[in-house]
Amino acid sequence: MPSTTLRFKNLRRRFGRLSVLEGVSGSVAPWEALLVTGPNGSGKSTLLRCLAGLLSPDKGTIEYREGDEVLDTAGRRLRLGYVAPDLALYSELTVAENLLFFARLRRTGPERGFEVLDRLGLPTDRMAGALSSGMRQRLRWAWALLHRPRLLLLDEPFQNLDAAGEQGTRELLREHLEGGGLAVVANPSHLEIDHVAGHLDLGR
Amino acid sequence: MKTLFAWLLWLWISLVIVGAFYYAPQAEGFQDGSDRILFFHVPMAWASFAGFIAAAVWSVRYLMTRDLRHDRSAHVAIQLGLLFGVLATISGAIWARIEWGAYWNWDPRQTSILISLLFYGAYLALRGAVEDPEKRARLAASYAILGLVVTPFLYWIMPRLTFSLHPEPVVNAEGKPKMQSEILQVLLASGVGFTALFFWLHSVHTRIQALAERKSAEME
Amino acid sequence: MLRATSTSDARPLSPASAWAAEVAAVFVKDWRCEFRTRYALNTLALFAFTTLVVVSISLGPIGIDRARGSKVLPVLLWVILLFSVAAGLPRAFVQEEESQTATALRLSATPSALFCGKLLYCLTLVGALELLVTPVFVTLMSLKVESPGLLAVTLAAGGYGLAVGSTLVAAIIAQARTKGTLFSVLAFPILLPLLLLAVELTFSAVGGGGGSGGVALPQLLLYDASITVAGLMLFPVVWNP
Repeated sequence: MPSTTLRFKNLRRRFGRLSVLEGVSGSVAPWEALLVTGPNGSGKSTLLRCLAGLLSPDKGTIEYREGDEVLDTAGRRLRLGYVAPDLALYSELTVAENLLFFARLRRTGPERGFEVLDRLGLPTDRMAGALSSGMRQRLRWAWALLHRPRLLLLDEPFQNLDAAGEQGTRELLREHLEGGGLAVVANPSHLEIDHVAGHLDLGR
Repeated sequence: MKTLFAWLLWLWISLVIVGAFYYAPQAEGFQDGSDRILFFHVPMAWASFAGFIAAAVWSVRYLMTRDLRHDRSAHVAIQLGLLFGVLATISGAIWARIEWGAYWNWDPRQTSILISLLFYGAYLALRGAVEDPEKRARLAASYAILGLVVTPFLYWIMPRLTFSLHPEPVVNAEGKPKMQSEILQVLLASGVGFTALFFWLHSVHTRIQALAERKSAEME
Repeated sequence: MLRATSTSDARPLSPASAWAAEVAAVFVKDWRCEFRTRYALNTLALFAFTTLVVVSISLGPIGIDRARGSKVLPVLLWVILLFSVAAGLPRAFVQEEESQTATALRLSATPSALFCGKLLYCLTLVGALELLVTPVFVTLMSLKVESPGLLAVTLAAGGYGLAVGSTLVAAIIAQARTKGTLFSVLAFPILLPLLLLAVELTFSAVGGGGGSGGVALPQLLLYDASITVAGLMLFPVVWNP
């Protein structure tokens, strides 16, 4: 797997009068996780959204590189895996139908997604709208890993999960990192993640 | 430099006003004195349209550079386009009342400018409905460009649909040779003047907006 | 732009057919969700029939004479279509934003494929609407159609323009507040040339005397082409930051 890196420098973002990110910088390399901590409202989700290409920073740069190639925002957006509390899938479709749809969009097979669901113990024939919050979180993980991304952006990744779910997803994260992937993890419930190479504290 | 330009502009337009009433002769076929509206109504319609084009150009520049100053310029251009357009519509309606007996006749040119007013209003409504500056700039720019793509069709369709009351041969805006040269001169001078006025107002207004934004950013 | 190629199973699809598969996926997904909720179809049908009934009750019993009727009725038909579209179509994008599925789409779909998939969905909705409304309208109003071929072409070309314009405007307003009224405000100036051309052609088709000398149809097709190009170029800008 070619070397993948993420570097961001001096990111600034304000919402109206409120300056949420004030010159945030960091970097992640393969086999590494960057931990982002801070109290509520310190900009963790905003940072992750900027890194995911869902929000454009007012100032600063983000460089995502796969091997020799630097991808633009549009390219980065489609390559990464993203887990966040406000990410929803189609409630009128079953879990399986959701995965199949997004697999087709991503021009890949759904096998990885079903594999993750199997490991996390989520039945695939249920309507996505009828899932409990813990099950929804498991589905988010399956969706994020569907296309075997090299970069994972995780915002509160263990939220709503019971002990088994948390263990399963931690295992997935560990495997991802040990396989040479990178991750930026915001607001984890516990700080015990291996491979933490950097810690970004946005607290004031 | 800017002050000099402002004074020159004032002088130019004053001369245009004088010329409109004293230099240019009475145009044929019009009621006494009413044709003088022409020297103000037509250039304002031009300026309004120029504003639309300018806004579209600035919108493209914004999308290419993502520099919010271009977005601000586009916004102000539309605001002024609306102002000049409303004035052109009103002056046109007054003239229509005098010449043809009714304020509104669904003449193609009247209808076209009314539709462009709708468009300006829609643009401003869109801007009012989006809070985030980056998103607002992006969506507004897209809409302005979409509007530019679509508007030429109106100008082609309109003349077919209704009999045109707009006098073509004598006072044609393209300046057909039939127009007396003094009238043409004042008309063109007025056109230059009003366009310059538009862009001068534009530069003043964008500077005011920039200052206002800087002030509110500092005040937090 | 680098498009994700799976490291696991190499799908031997050319980029073009992979793109088409994406478009198809979006189209199928939208219709599948639609069949399970019936929201758009119900809204469109309800709105269209309500306006149809109002129009025919207002004009029918009063007895609008044939001459005046053939002038007014083409306009009314397109007004009904326009307002039904405004009632039911914006949901194609507004729903994605409101149910927060737009984030997932932004991170997985190629913008051009998403636009075309949504466009196809909206086209089929408009087509269904026209198939529903036109025969009923013609019957209720006892409208004599002298040139059904021209009417069909007009409905196709006009409906296409309605769909494209509405899809793009829907994508714009979906990211704003006050989405309901804003759609109509934004869409009307954009769709007006289309409406005028469609009405002119419908007027000819109904036998009202074609005074335009056959120039309206090429202009309508040109409008359709222009707005398609504009949509394809502007959608990625509208959709992504």
